[in-house]
Amino acid sequence: MRKLLIGLLLLATAQITAQETGSIVGKLTDTDFNNDPLAFANILIEGTTKGTTSDFDGLYEIANLDPGTYTVVYSFLGYETITKADVVVEAGKSTTVDVGLSAAAGVELEEFVGTGTTKKESEAALLLDQKNATIVKESIGAQELSFKGISDAAAAVNKISGVSKQEGGGNVYVRGLGDRYLNTTYNGLPVPSNNIEKKNIDLNLFSSDVIQNVGVSKTHAANFYGDFAAGNVDITAKEHTGDFFLDVDLGTTVNTNAVGTDFVKSEGTGYFGFYNRYRNNPYAVLLSHGVDAISSEGNTGVSGSFASGKSWNIGDASRLSVFATASFGNSFEFREGPAVDYTTVEKKRFPNSEQYEYGRNTTAMANIVYRINDKHKVKYNSLFINDATDEVSYFGTKGLGSNRDAILDTDRGFYQSNVQFSQDMIFVNQLLGTSTLSEKLKLDWGVGYNNVLARQPDRKRISVERYDLELDNDESTNGFFFSNIAYDNQRYFQDIEDSELNARINLSYDISEKLKFNFGYNGRSKQRTFENIRYGYDFIQPNTPVGDVRNLDGVFTQENLGTVFNTVVFNGLDPQNGLGNTNLPGRFENTYEGNLNVHAFYTDAVYKISDKLSFVPGIRLEKFNQDITYDVINLPATDPGARDASEFFILPSLNVKYALNEDQNLRFSFSSTVSNPEFKEVAPFVYEDVTQRIGGNPNLLNDPAFSRIYNVDIKYEWFMKPSELLSVAAFAKAINDPVNLVVANDATGTQRFFRTGDQAQVLGFEFEVRKALITDADEQSVLSTGINATYTYTKQDLKGSNGVFSTTFDRESDQLQGASPLLLNADLSYRPTFGSYKPVANLVFSYFSDRIDALGSGQLGNIIEKAVPTLDFVWKNNINEKMELNASFKNLLNPTIERVREVEGGDVTLSSFKRGLNIGFQFKYKF
Amino acid sequence: MKTSKFLLGFFTLTILLVGCAADDTADVIINQEGGNPTNPTTPDSNEIGGTLSEDLTLTTGTEYKLTSALIVPEGFTLNIEPGAVIRATTGADVYVAVMQGGKIMAEGTSTNPIVFTSDSATPNPGDWGGLIVLGKAPINSVTGGDATSTSEIGGLPYGGSAADDNSGILKYLRIEYSGGAADASSENNGFSFYGVGNGTTIEYIQAFEGKDDGVEFFGGTVNASFVSVIGAQDDSIDWTEGFTGTLTNVYVEHRQAHDKGIEGDGFNTDIGNNSDPLFWSAPTINNITINGNGSSNENEAIRLRAGTRALFTNVLLSGFAEGFDLDSDGADSPTGQGVLDGDTGVTNISFDDVTVNLKNDTGDTFGEAEFFTGIGNGTGADYSSWNGGWTRN
Repeated sequence: MRKLLIGLLLLATAQITAQETGSIVGKLTDTDFNNDPLAFANILIEGTTKGTTSDFDGLYEIANLDPGTYTVVYSFLGYETITKADVVVEAGKSTTVDVGLSAAAGVELEEFVGTGTTKKESEAALLLDQKNATIVKESIGAQELSFKGISDAAAAVNKISGVSKQEGGGNVYVRGLGDRYLNTTYNGLPVPSNNIEKKNIDLNLFSSDVIQNVGVSKTHAANFYGDFAAGNVDITAKEHTGDFFLDVDLGTTVNTNAVGTDFVKSEGTGYFGFYNRYRNNPYAVLLSHGVDAISSEGNTGVSGSFASGKSWNIGDASRLSVFATASFGNSFEFREGPAVDYTTVEKKRFPNSEQYEYGRNTTAMANIVYRINDKHKVKYNSLFINDATDEVSYFGTKGLGSNRDAILDTDRGFYQSNVQFSQDMIFVNQLLGTSTLSEKLKLDWGVGYNNVLARQPDRKRISVERYDLELDNDESTNGFFFSNIAYDNQRYFQDIEDSELNARINLSYDISEKLKFNFGYNGRSKQRTFENIRYGYDFIQPNTPVGDVRNLDGVFTQENLGTVFNTVVFNGLDPQNGLGNTNLPGRFENTYEGNLNVHAFYTDAVYKISDKLSFVPGIRLEKFNQDITYDVINLPATDPGARDASEFFILPSLNVKYALNEDQNLRFSFSSTVSNPEFKEVAPFVYEDVTQRIGGNPNLLNDPAFSRIYNVDIKYEWFMKPSELLSVAAFAKAINDPVNLVVANDATGTQRFFRTGDQAQVLGFEFEVRKALITDADEQSVLSTGINATYTYTKQDLKGSNGVFSTTFDRESDQLQGASPLLLNADLSYRPTFGSYKPVANLVFSYFSDRIDALGSGQLGNIIEKAVPTLDFVWKNNINEKMELNASFKNLLNPTIERVREVEGGDVTLSSFKRGLNIGFQFKYKF
Repeated sequence: MKTSKFLLGFFTLTILLVGCAADDTADVIINQEGGNPTNPTTPDSNEIGGTLSEDLTLTTGTEYKLTSALIVPEGFTLNIEPGAVIRATTGADVYVAVMQGGKIMAEGTSTNPIVFTSDSATPNPGDWGGLIVLGKAPINSVTGGDATSTSEIGGLPYGGSAADDNSGILKYLRIEYSGGAADASSENNGFSFYGVGNGTTIEYIQAFEGKDDGVEFFGGTVNASFVSVIGAQDDSIDWTEGFTGTLTNVYVEHRQAHDKGIEGDGFNTDIGNNSDPLFWSAPTINNITINGNGSSNENEAIRLRAGTRALFTNVLLSGFAEGFDLDSDGADSPTGQGVLDGDTGVTNISFDDVTVNLKNDTGDTFGEAEFFTGIGNGTGADYSSWNGGWTRN
């Protein structure tokens, strides 16, 4: 909204010239958006083919009109159509007709494309937004999401220059900087992460049904939180302003890898991805339920959703709009390939592994928008997401696995299985509002309360050695449970709860057409609690034989408790009084509680020195406080068990825009920002995966408790036509005291977070073009393409570090973790018209080059995530006005997804698999 | 799970009802009858634990109850007189750690040894942590100087450049039922020597019925003699990270659960060999007996890997499928090169019920003839001549 207000300030006066003939000129405004300019509306002289569209500033001109009287029709997608009769044109003169359009009345349903379309969603409108913005921001709206068949926010941002997505996860990289350097907001308010390992929410969780637009801001402005380096991803919730509508769709997706398999999942998880044993003590769950995976509900994905909205006019000025959507989908993915744990030696090798991933996603969103009048608007927005994933992994399935620490045979027959379920429930509730207090004063505010329940109940891990003996033809030989440590066979329960209260308020004050001030506050108060417990199966006899490794419920029974195995737990209930750690429930293994409080006041000025040059200097004063209290196993007895850091940041920023002409901008931006550690980076709790261990480091909150970052951006952009763009940008960043995840110097190979050097430098170039290749008679693009590429050079110096944990390096510098030197996104869009049949076909390509997934410390080489190209084809078919039949073919290239450890004399493959093609069909009906 | 959480979302409630799987989880009811089944008899008045802020002396004939980690920081000394018995309550976080610059002066006698054991009336291996000594002698996981690493248990610093560092005296001292898991993939040992220097005296020590390794050396230069390990469930003797001391008169006896007799690594393979100049573990072992459970049980007496060097003299191995198994794990782990260079080998050895004397998986070419000298001449540790009075069996 603020951007559009700025756009209004930058309004340029059109130069009108006409001699023999006359013209009609004027300005179109959006009466629903504070009379902001309405761009790309259609203006047509009735009964002729003469017409035009309004420009970025809402201005239009129909020139070369013979003198006479005309009827002019003004229309815009999803808005009322206004007809002005008796418009008189005189020779050599311009007739001015200013028109205000509203979505409130007279909406003609036939004009709808997609659902709940408003002007903010169209590609052209968002480019306008980008053009007028005083900061570097790129967005994708619902219309483009729909056109390109983009299913969620993660795929959406992947279309933006300099953005790449990690395959098989929602991790997003902006300009090569990963999760810890990004922020995600929802309607401008912070939104929590669903995953303990991450700072940002998995953007896959935001299906296109709930997105109005998703934008990535790559330069800092005073109203953004100071914890900013690469970018801020903001998702604006969809809202509806027109008449009643109801859309329903049903679909199915087939994964070519999964379709022929006997798909398996955890026992006890529901079809919709819920699990109802949370209220039971984990030990009761362990005793009552077995360890085996069970057959899942088929192996073919289904999906369905509805979206509906309605608006009511209340009196003359008020309008109430309601929008609600709910969707459910599940997905199946089967992967097979090698899995290896290699440090400086090969610790474990599984030449064959199988992984079954069964995801369920439920999203429900509702909002109520109450437009009190054209000055005041309030909105309540509620979002619920349930993201559940069953993951069953079998390692060493052909008896060829090895483990250098095996007891019976270090060369063959090592086998492990991991059966886990994770469920993340996210609740977001927001109250938002805008008010025009006077001609000069405008208020924009929001308050939000978020909750996250992220749980991993009852992860089961089984370890077996000499599994090859089970597979041979000799029935008298068998494998054995591997029980070096009691926890080699274990059940694990983890529970995280986050809650956050946040708020923002911005008051803009227009002193003159040339000068405007913003004063604002934003703040957040976040709390996390973490707890986990784990039970080990300690076999009483060494070399307890195993039968069928996928049928072990008969071993782990209550009858065998105390005779075949004992259960052990780290912290007994009351060891001093006889309630020890064996064959009894226990107390939590690790707990921590973190608090984050950030409060900031900011101000910036939008100073338009001339028509061409504008300056936006800003300053942000931010108070940051983070504390963490933990009770974690195997820490130095001398550790205080808590850390606390308070900082006060003064963060200046400057954004400069120079309009070379009406279509071309030159931008410059400088800012000083910070990067603060996350709870998971600080809490010394260690999460143990099958092949790796990751833990926090409380010393990150010692001096310095943050990274100071300096950002510089220069960008040239040329908006050749609506929907067409050419831009070139260069950027540089210096990150002081950067944090990396590296292996700590201890005997366990645990990766922890360290401030690994004095400074990291990032230097990059971006190029983007969006071009219509073929247009029809109405100037609508039939074939269009978009290509963007980013080259990033990164370098960080490395130094060892001592403290509670220590690490060393065998080299002076390296690339930054997560930074791909080359990112490439491209799409080709074909939208022909055959009468009323208007199919849309899209080919979307993305590529990232090799990047460091984990920085090697000591003598260890880096772990490299190998380059991945992705190609998707999406085909949308409107059968008639009510029905759509859509098809998608994703991951057409089906590349090998590979991680390797860099080792002298050749890389060692750690994992390698193909994800298979996803072929989907969807039927959509509009009531 | 609190119901109120569900009211926060719009559509949760109905979905939850539809989506819930059937639950047939039984409740756990703990009936505790007849007092405390494992409660010991140690009086509470002699409780010890925590970080010392002054020297502590444990006196002859007294029983102590160790209820938490007892840390001896730099500048302090833990004195233990002959015959003192320390009973540890259960828990892997119950251990004794002597930090860099701290000292332990524990001198028992052959008739009145110092004993660390479990406080449980029905003790089991893994009941408690064990003894951890951390010194300033060189380790090869860091690049020289005063750089330190962090111990697997307790997260304490160790390593440095003082080869003659002195952490005190351990003499006639026995540790029982230690080795509790410190986290889900590491366990305490009986004795853990982290970067301990050769100014330290270690004589007549026994690890009895431990859950993990008996005695483990993480780098360091310390020498140990008259070492007995009985019933260790993991490796009885373990070295890594550039250990270069000498072990003289070592007796190892496997019980039902066990791993290797000796597992020797040249360096910590999780972080690499970062020493400069480069060095590997290269201990000298004189007079050692390792008794296994018979050659029909798949097991190895001695596994050498990750580039370690080791010179053995007078070895007696009984009851193993394999005697020596040597591995090289790649270019950075040249275990076989040590043999070719004459840094690794065995002089005088006897095999009793051992199927394969030498398994060479290093990729380097050498055989028994190059590796062993004097097969049949080994007599071992002569355990009975020095185990009287202070060891357990």
